[in-house]
Amino acid sequence: MTTTAASASPAAARAPTLQRYGRMLGRYLRPQWRAASALALLLLGSIALQLLVPQILRRFIDAASVSAVSGGGIDAAMLADPVWWAPGGLAGLALLFLAVALVTQLLGAGATYAGAAVGWTATNALRSDLARHCLGLDLGFHKTRSAGEMIERIDGDVTALSDFFAQFSVRVLGGMLLLVGILTVLWFENVWIGAALTVFTLLELAVLARTRAIAVPATTLEREANAKLFGFIEERLAGIEDVRANGGGPHALQRFLVPVRTFFFDTRRAWMLRSVVWLSSYGLFVLGSLVTLGASIQLVTIGAITLGTGYMVFQYMVMLQAPIEQITQQMQHLQRAGASIGRVDELMRTESALPVGAGRSLPGGPLDVRFEGVRFRYADAAPGTPPILDDIDLRLAPGRVLGLLGRTGSGKTTLTRLLFRFYDPDEGTVRLAGVPTTDIALDDLRARVGMVTQDVQLFQASVRENLSFFDRTISDERLLAVLHEVGLGAWFSHLPEGLDTFVKAGGGNLSAGEAQLLAFARVFLEDPGLVILDEPSSRLDPVTERHLERCVERLLRGRTAIIIAHRLETIERADEVMVLDAGRVAEHGPRERLAADPGSRYARLLAAGRGSDGERHRTHPDLMELA
Amino acid sequence: MTTVTTTPAPTTTATPAAPGVLRLLLILAWHRPALLLLNVFIWLLVHASPVLVGVFMKGIFDALSGQAGAVVSPWTYLALALGVDVMRIGALAGGVYAYASYWAEVVLRMRRNLLAYLLTAPGTRRLPDSPSEAISRFRDDVEDIGEYLEQWIDVWGLVLFAAIALTVMFRVDPLMTALICLPLLFTLLLTNALRPHIRRVRRAMREATGRVTDFLGETFNAVQAVQGAGREAAVLAEFERRNAVRRRTALTDSLLAEVFKSVNDNMVNVATGVILLIGAGAMQRGSFTVGDFALFVTFLPRLTGTISFLGAMMVQHKRTSVAFERLSALLHDGGPETVVAGAELHLRDGPPPFVDPRPAIEPLRSLRVEGLCARHGDGALALDDVSFELPRGSFTVVTGRVGSGKSTLVRVLMGLAPREAGAVWWNDTLVEDPASWFLPPRSAYTSQVPRLFSDTLRENVAMGRADPLHLRRAIELAVMERDVAVLHRGLETEVGSRGVRLSGGQVQRSAAARMFMREAELLVFDDLSSALDVETERQLWEGVFAQRRALAGAAGDGSERAGAGTVAGCGGATCLVVSHRRAALERADQVLVMEAGRIVASGSLRAVLAASDALRELWGEARGEALEARPGGPTSAC
Repeated sequence: MTTTAASASPAAARAPTLQRYGRMLGRYLRPQWRAASALALLLLGSIALQLLVPQILRRFIDAASVSAVSGGGIDAAMLADPVWWAPGGLAGLALLFLAVALVTQLLGAGATYAGAAVGWTATNALRSDLARHCLGLDLGFHKTRSAGEMIERIDGDVTALSDFFAQFSVRVLGGMLLLVGILTVLWFENVWIGAALTVFTLLELAVLARTRAIAVPATTLEREANAKLFGFIEERLAGIEDVRANGGGPHALQRFLVPVRTFFFDTRRAWMLRSVVWLSSYGLFVLGSLVTLGASIQLVTIGAITLGTGYMVFQYMVMLQAPIEQITQQMQHLQRAGASIGRVDELMRTESALPVGAGRSLPGGPLDVRFEGVRFRYADAAPGTPPILDDIDLRLAPGRVLGLLGRTGSGKTTLTRLLFRFYDPDEGTVRLAGVPTTDIALDDLRARVGMVTQDVQLFQASVRENLSFFDRTISDERLLAVLHEVGLGAWFSHLPEGLDTFVKAGGGNLSAGEAQLLAFARVFLEDPGLVILDEPSSRLDPVTERHLERCVERLLRGRTAIIIAHRLETIERADEVMVLDAGRVAEHGPRERLAADPGSRYARLLAAGRGSDGERHRTHPDLMELA
Repeated sequence: MTTVTTTPAPTTTATPAAPGVLRLLLILAWHRPALLLLNVFIWLLVHASPVLVGVFMKGIFDALSGQAGAVVSPWTYLALALGVDVMRIGALAGGVYAYASYWAEVVLRMRRNLLAYLLTAPGTRRLPDSPSEAISRFRDDVEDIGEYLEQWIDVWGLVLFAAIALTVMFRVDPLMTALICLPLLFTLLLTNALRPHIRRVRRAMREATGRVTDFLGETFNAVQAVQGAGREAAVLAEFERRNAVRRRTALTDSLLAEVFKSVNDNMVNVATGVILLIGAGAMQRGSFTVGDFALFVTFLPRLTGTISFLGAMMVQHKRTSVAFERLSALLHDGGPETVVAGAELHLRDGPPPFVDPRPAIEPLRSLRVEGLCARHGDGALALDDVSFELPRGSFTVVTGRVGSGKSTLVRVLMGLAPREAGAVWWNDTLVEDPASWFLPPRSAYTSQVPRLFSDTLRENVAMGRADPLHLRRAIELAVMERDVAVLHRGLETEVGSRGVRLSGGQVQRSAAARMFMREAELLVFDDLSSALDVETERQLWEGVFAQRRALAGAAGDGSERAGAGTVAGCGGATCLVVSHRRAALERADQVLVMEAGRIVASGSLRAVLAASDALRELWGEARGEALEARPGGPTSAC
């Protein structure tokens, strides 16, 4: 039931076709057609000028040879001669050469810059699409992936693609145009040379098309090896104290050798396979240039062409080297991009296990909660194991507060996750306000259900951003009002920069209680109709916990609520109590009635907590016994 | 919630008087001298051989234009050029293999050294920033250094090419060669002038990149919170804003790079123009042939290429020094020599079997702490003159309000956080460096928010110790048997990144099992119970106490009874426990009550309840006498 990568393996193994490159290019370049056209113009201009340069050189050599025949050297008289400086004169040609070269440079630089600008815009759009897609995936997907891996797949792969976007157009397409231009000029100059070089170019491209794909699988492996290596490091750094204080360093380093070896061999293999592409193209170039030179030698010897033309052909041949090298080099990037596109595609094709429903919305006010015959098992659970939730029936009227009790692993947290639709039940229905959760628009559902857990996730960002989850539409007044409401007013007044105060890595400048209140404030901002408190105070000491009490009190007013508790006192305010045991409802009823029934589990728990002192159960019924 | 209560890392600056970048690079490069020299040799051939091709081209054109000097047929030159090119292709193929082998080992060795230092070096170790930020140093800074090393392998062939080419050109026409060199030198100067800008922009770009990757990491770590709050769109908008900043800096970087490239390329054109202008006259005099012209023009791009390569190398030199600075800052006190040190990676033969380095130690008789002081990152006093003693086999609970310094106390004691003053004595030995002293078999630790790693549950618990009997005992003690039984693949279950496939309580008990597996003399529990229900916690403490009793019996017999402390966990161990739960407090031989970094009361639970208002408050406004009627059940079971 978790995420499925549709036909992942065969599709990933298959080399990406040019169509996929084209689709990707089209989708992300279309919105930037203006910038892309400017880029094309710059490119065309620079190519035209590049074609002109060898022509100038030919004129120059032929003119110099002719002058040499007529004898004489440079002298003052010659320098004064306007013919010398005329466009066809030697100095004129030299100056023309300089001017053309300069403008070519400028156009080329402009094209590269424009290419980078277009490329960054395109890849940033792709990064956003990927991040949006992944944020929309269910928890089953995220459970199996480390944050480091997500960084690699959203940023690492796309960065590999940015070469593709930025360079492909400029270098590969521009290079192709230049190739065609050179060949055309050569055909007009001499059919034989034109034909020889055309055959050479076609041969080259055929070989390229054939070899292009061979390194893609190896490159995919190389990137995976990279992700594994850095994933390993990131986890050890995040748990550095656990590793160090338990003397786990030497063993971690030993385990590290496994991703290290994979990295070494996969990287080297990928490099070698990629080098096959450019080495074969380089070999062909050598062959082609020697054949062309041979043809020029023959033609000059028999007098079919001038020495200047011979030189020009040589020059054009040299010029062929640049685009061919660039194309082959970019083909490498293209291969890497191909591997990345494969992975990006795979990620994009990974669908959330939560089908899009009818998209109904929820009414305002407290929500009615119902579980009808709900059975649920995590997708990665062994086939033989019992379901984590089995045959759960529950009805919680609007505004009522339910206390949820049970051992660790009895299914309490899972039950609340179904309410958020982090997962869908295997059997049965979960309803909010009478609507099955699968029919409610997901954003509406999650906006109307609020949760506070003991883990407060903080960002390295300002207090404002931490409160609002970067939502800039929430006004400062509203944020301040909420801060006061949860009792963080005094704390806030001591912040040096108010809402702009930066929360340090790991929340270094917030105490545990303050962080917890911040989490409450986040929920207040949502104004949910159903609140879930998953033992939010378990890491707090009882004194700090009592400071939270007022805040909880306010939060629950006029809302339906489910409180998960390890300690009985936490659910003192509950209207109803439900005890879960191994995924089944062991007991459910109004709290007062259960407390009064000496045979109930709840009453036994209370009794255990009360110990021999009948007065104390209200304050420390800690010793809870789930016999 | 440790993450919230931890003291921020002390602000670190780059270590002064670091050794020169080149010396570091040489140490780094020289770990595999034969492979290094092979690489240098191959790439020398690759980069220098084009000089021959240029000479042969000149031969062809001179022969064609009927120059007097040309005695050989143009076809011979053509054949020679073919020979050089074939050789070069062979060298390239070998060069890629040799360099890939060399490069991968170099970057891996650096990464291994960094990780090794962070995980095993003595002294308190804090990351300067988040783990994901540290990853960018492991990745990018190491790659920067690798790139510079690559340039040092390439440079010899390029310089050899330039030296031969310039000599040949000088012999043809000294004046023209000199005039061509001028623009090339100008390029070099301009390149140098641009260097600081490149560095600045590069740094800005890296910071912007760090902000993007950090944000991604944080977002996906908190994905449940983001989804639960339905704030995906807002988070995405922030991601886009950070990406936009990064785009801007990247474009500035690329613009600067283009200016660089244009300067270089234009110098080629200016130089060619010079050849054309001066060469025109010389050609007419016959002192400069078409072949010479071909030679000059063929050499020119490679010469400028070499110049710009040298310029890039200077920039990379700076970048490398920045990379070394950043890596040193990551290591805090390690210094750049650590990064380039030698290390065996067992690439060819695979890792050898793991040997757990358990030094022989003096068994704990008593642990004495005197006058411990520590400060938070912001300078506020976190621990104020804390003294206590743990006798062998005692069970001590540190309690107090959040922020009173409980966690800080155990973390400073174990060297996980820096201390400012105070002494710790292990029996009669003064502990100089707690971080390298408080390790198994002396001590083991579970943190408040334990971390598991993407691996099997067995690996996470065993952490290199293999004995299955041990493992079973540790699992049992941690009250994990039932969980293991229902887990997908039992102990072989992959726990997912950071153990996300387990519940919070399972993660915490796995960490406890990991600690029991260490067989340490001193067990430190930093608020083990925060994700445990009371019943599970009670079972855990009961197990620990039963074990201790069994061992005490075994020790009394002087025999080695099976199942007792010889096998696992906490036999006879001294326990230091941070908790405010009754299950722990009621078993304590000694309770330390903390308030604002000081111990305000200590002694038996009864004594401190009588003495400390703070504890009574914590105890839940219970009156001290309530304890007189301690429930017989759990406590007497011990």
